Amino acid sequence: MASTFAAVFEIVSFGAIIVLVVLGLGIIASMMGIFNFAQGEFVLLGAYVTYLAYAHGAPVWAGMIAAPFVVGALGFVLEALIIRRFYAAPIVAMLGTYALGLIIRESVRGLIGGFYLTVPEPIGGSIDLGSVHISAWRFTIIVITLLVMGACYLLLARTSFGLRVRATLENPALARASGISTPLIYGATFAFGAALAGLAGALIVPVFSLFADLGIRFLIQGFVAVMVGGVGSFIGPVAGAGVIGTLSAALPWVMSPVVADVLVFVLAIAFIKFRPQGLIAGKGV
Amino acid sequence: MGGASEAVARVGEEPDVVTGESAPAARAPAGQASAGWKVLPIVEGLVLLIALVLPWVLQDYLTVFATRVVILALFALSFDLVWGYAGIMSFGQALFFGAAGYGVALMARDLNVTSILLILPAGTLIGLTAALLLGGFLLLGRYPSSVIFVSLGTLTGSYAADRLARGWYYLGGQNGIPSIPPLTLGSYEFEEGPVYYYMVLGILVVVYLLCRFLVRSQFGLALAGLRENEQRIAFFGYKAQHLKAIIFAVGGTIAGLAGSLYAFHEGFVWPNMLGVVFSTQVVLYVLFGGSGTLIGAVIGTVIIEGVSFWLSDNYRDVWPIILGVLLLLVIMFRPLGLISFVLGERERVGSFGKAPSKESGNAAP
Repeated sequence: MASTFAAVFEIVSFGAIIVLVVLGLGIIASMMGIFNFAQGEFVLLGAYVTYLAYAHGAPVWAGMIAAPFVVGALGFVLEALIIRRFYAAPIVAMLGTYALGLIIRESVRGLIGGFYLTVPEPIGGSIDLGSVHISAWRFTIIVITLLVMGACYLLLARTSFGLRVRATLENPALARASGISTPLIYGATFAFGAALAGLAGALIVPVFSLFADLGIRFLIQGFVAVMVGGVGSFIGPVAGAGVIGTLSAALPWVMSPVVADVLVFVLAIAFIKFRPQGLIAGKGV
Repeated sequence: MGGASEAVARVGEEPDVVTGESAPAARAPAGQASAGWKVLPIVEGLVLLIALVLPWVLQDYLTVFATRVVILALFALSFDLVWGYAGIMSFGQALFFGAAGYGVALMARDLNVTSILLILPAGTLIGLTAALLLGGFLLLGRYPSSVIFVSLGTLTGSYAADRLARGWYYLGGQNGIPSIPPLTLGSYEFEEGPVYYYMVLGILVVVYLLCRFLVRSQFGLALAGLRENEQRIAFFGYKAQHLKAIIFAVGGTIAGLAGSLYAFHEGFVWPNMLGVVFSTQVVLYVLFGGSGTLIGAVIGTVIIEGVSFWLSDNYRDVWPIILGVLLLLVIMFRPLGLISFVLGERERVGSFGKAPSKESGNAAP
């Protein structure tokens, strides 16, 4: 019973991390129709900002709060300078964002070297539930993920900004005709997606530690999750992330990790092949 | 722009030829009327000439490096066929390269097969089979697959293969399969050096010529149409998905050939050969040199590998950053790659068929 609970907690906390990463990826993919290959590097940057703050003596949580803003601002600038040129051609966008990601990743690698740098958890220790001990920080990640998901949903569904975003997503030409500045909305959305990745990076760095290739593994899992969930809505990528995160954390408990790793990808690609619109089709929130 | 202005200048040099032709030739675009000033054969000839004399001027260890570059150029060719000509973004081309490499390495390790007459066909066959399986799954079906799905599907396939190879003890895990014996032909052993170099160069030239013939054929014309406007090609009655699957399989075959040569040249195989590292590396080569021209893939490989080899002593850390910046600049400002500085658009697209007087003979982009 206790070990089952520990396993479930493990699975849920990993799923929460994937959801955080995928949220930004999914929003950008739904909105602009481009798959941002630099998203993994935004995660890396978030982690790096947190590490920098910690290395300079600031409390870890301060770095974690700063990370999404720094990465979001960088995303806004990159969108205005570079990404904006790629909207018409999704494949070129992939290559362009890949080049961007390469630059960011190798710069960070140059700065930190080939090391694995650790950052302590801002909330250490464990929570005791009877005989079960669960990591307090992982629990915090789950709570923050839920809060972020709720906030994103409210932002998109209940505010006038969200209405503009959805209008731009559904019919850009009509949105422009109605007086919505679509380039600004695109810029803001991209920055928002980047900020979410930065937050994800900041939150996971105590768990995974900081190294230059931190982003790559989340990138491919994130892509697969977005495709499984379905591009075009808010809830689709979240659902996809839940499925992929849960599967990749749960399968290693019942089979050899190597087989489980590959099986998740094979299952996901096969699923997308036969249901290209994903789990949840359609646009909107 | 360089190519275009050069073409104009060259037309100006030879006014007699143009005016001397009959009316249809004057109406036809100038690029294909006279054979005297084509840039592409000159570039190809130059590259071949340099490649032929290289072992005489280079020291031995550089010849070994040059051999590796030639094999990688063969690999780049396979990606260029798939992406540059058919417009299929294969982000997992290394899957076929590495699968063939692992396959022949296992043959050498477990079956003691090192004969070139068995190894190369086997590697080619592995590449073909893997590409048929993956391509058939991703590209064929009742509904046409989106470009995004194909590119992410190939990327995921390559990544998954990488993870599998890393975790599978039989394949050597992280370390791969070391100390593969040299290729043999009868009792002769192909060691690293000039002989191996000329062998792979010969293979590259043969494959290059075959590819050149392929993309200049009716099939190549259909492929170019596929890249430019898939729906229109479908309306012409071509089975667009089948064309894609065929060229994907051809690409996989060449990648398999390159992979088996690479495995025996390096003497070991390791998981990166299957994974995202090599897959993206080959994308860089082709985009940099110029996709959609076969020679562009070769030149891109030579430049990137050459510069990175030259820089690696002093600037190992900054080189990947420079590479990223250059790639970004190429994508943003020179989408046709470095080759477009000397090669005009008309010549890149090329002429098809025997009758240059017909306007419909061109594959207008």
